[in-house]
Amino acid sequence: MPLDTSAYSLALLRVDGRRWNELRRIHAQIRTQAAADGSSYLEMGHTKVMCVVNGPSEPGPRRGATSGGGGGGGQSKNAEVAVNIVIAGFSSVDRKRRGRGDKHILELQSTISQALAASLHTHLFPHSTINISLHVLSQDGSLLAALINAATLACVDAGIPMTDYVAACTAGSTSTYAANDEGADPLLDMNHQEEQELPGLTVATLGDSDRVAVLVCESRVQVSRLEGMLAVGVDGCKQVREILDRVVREKGIKMIQEGTVERGVGLNDMELD
Amino acid sequence: MPITILPPKAFRDQPPRRNLNHDSDDVMSDATSDSEDSDSQPGGVSLDGGVTIHPRKRRSAAAASSTFTKRPKTNVTSSVPRSAIVTPGERITTDPQWMRGHGTYLSSASLGEQAITSSLAGIVTRTNKLLSVRPLRARYTPEVGDLVVGRIVEVQAKRWRVDVGSTQLAALPLSAINLPGGILRKRTETDELQIRTFFAEGDLVVAEVQQLFQDGGAVLHTRSLKYGKLRNGVFMAVSGTGGGGGVVRSRRQVWTLEAANNGGPIDVILGVNGYVWISKHVEPVVPEEAKGQTGITNLEEVVSATMYSSQNDRIEPETMREIARIRGVVTALVENGLRVDEDMVTKGYNEAVELALVSADGPEDVYLGGERGEQLAAALTAV
Repeated sequence: MPLDTSAYSLALLRVDGRRWNELRRIHAQIRTQAAADGSSYLEMGHTKVMCVVNGPSEPGPRRGATSGGGGGGGQSKNAEVAVNIVIAGFSSVDRKRRGRGDKHILELQSTISQALAASLHTHLFPHSTINISLHVLSQDGSLLAALINAATLACVDAGIPMTDYVAACTAGSTSTYAANDEGADPLLDMNHQEEQELPGLTVATLGDSDRVAVLVCESRVQVSRLEGMLAVGVDGCKQVREILDRVVREKGIKMIQEGTVERGVGLNDMELD
Repeated sequence: MPITILPPKAFRDQPPRRNLNHDSDDVMSDATSDSEDSDSQPGGVSLDGGVTIHPRKRRSAAAASSTFTKRPKTNVTSSVPRSAIVTPGERITTDPQWMRGHGTYLSSASLGEQAITSSLAGIVTRTNKLLSVRPLRARYTPEVGDLVVGRIVEVQAKRWRVDVGSTQLAALPLSAINLPGGILRKRTETDELQIRTFFAEGDLVVAEVQQLFQDGGAVLHTRSLKYGKLRNGVFMAVSGTGGGGGVVRSRRQVWTLEAANNGGPIDVILGVNGYVWISKHVEPVVPEEAKGQTGITNLEEVVSATMYSSQNDRIEPETMREIARIRGVVTALVENGLRVDEDMVTKGYNEAVELALVSADGPEDVYLGGERGEQLAAALTAV
């Protein structure tokens, strides 16, 4: 069934019942794997992603070069961010066989690697590598955004210093490129069906600011609509950041309650002397 | 096609979204108000990094809801305030009297003011005027004098590279080990050629951090009878000092424990880096012919002959079982978020022996996972 745009213009509701500026449900967990330095699990709607971070650590002598491009690695002054993505065969409706050298996956890997390398303080870890391993369990649109969010959470869990969260989401437009529809609305957080039918872009921002860390647009979109889409996307990123931040805080507070970490000085105590 | 409109379900993990009838112009105001320059022209992109964006098209009343408003703080039902931890990007203070330490960076706040901002999720600690953030969890950061357990990963011309669970490999120079034949023996080129006879790849060593490089790399030494190659035991990696639970720096990292059930003495080495070695205690063997001799370096000379052996001694099944039990205790401590030190391990071991006595399998039962581990942890925290 093509996206029922006529229904949208009547009730202003999308195929899954959301309004134009609503995110899907985001559920996230950190520290899901005890053996890893950092790990996370993230759901954006039905897109489900798992992330494991190992490092920063210095690779042994006999390891081959890893994929990814952010930072140098090896003997350089900055840590290398190596990203590896595995898309499970059962993750989408049709079972697609993706080889190791799949161009689509390689592009996702290098995008994530560069985005995170810009936010992480890689200069603190010379000669080392940060290995980020992402597993896609289920796909329903906004895959790149989900991967970036999961990777950010796992890096926070791994205790790697960073400038700020890199939070991502997608934005689209209610009309196709060809339809010269003046009344096209921007859409926030596209699902798979919308991604198939409509133009869209993925945007990631650095924390609370409006600084765009990633902007990927793979479809034809009229330039006049781009601005609205970007604005909605940037706004969605801030909502995502809040959600990610809350996940981290709740975990941290739980750890303090359990006594795993002792309490630090509160920010208010500091002003006393 | 009729469409039934259902109100969005309120999820437990998501805060109630405020669907208010905002005026449509408010919708984007949050995005624009963040950056100072208010560009009235649509499509303005300021060059100082912040992108000011105005939506070309805005819908009115029906669809408009607040896109991003300051969320009401979720109620954490506890005594721990939300401010107890900081997260990356959170501004700690703009007061210039503070100095920034680890886990923080300077970011420009408004009007050229510099703000100390957290770069980690963790707790704020203060040393006089120095503010730093201790991460909830991180890899081990070496400090001079730390006792560490490590694994040799690479053999180079005059040194070994040792994995100590840090962000970088540590170096163990050939000049920093005790060569067989006493302290006074001179290091020769033959030793360099035979470097693998001392430590080869995969060997485990216990060593001390002697020196730190500027970039955080460590140099180790094993110039003491306490240090050197490890054998006759079991290795385990738990989280070390740096964040979270796990092994803590304490007065004694190495001790000998008298095991129950005829286990004999057992050595426990808690590396500060979170690597733990539990082994059968072996008294240094002094050969008969050496006993008559005297001399200061005598003992060292004799002992060092067996120092670099990779051959395990015979270990009785009883000893193996008690080693496994101690390993179970350490795992249970870590899983339940308790600190790992001499006191806790000793108490935990005694408790575990008691637990095994009442179990169905008797003292041979070394299982300490799951409920058993929680039981053990509860018994330890109750004291």
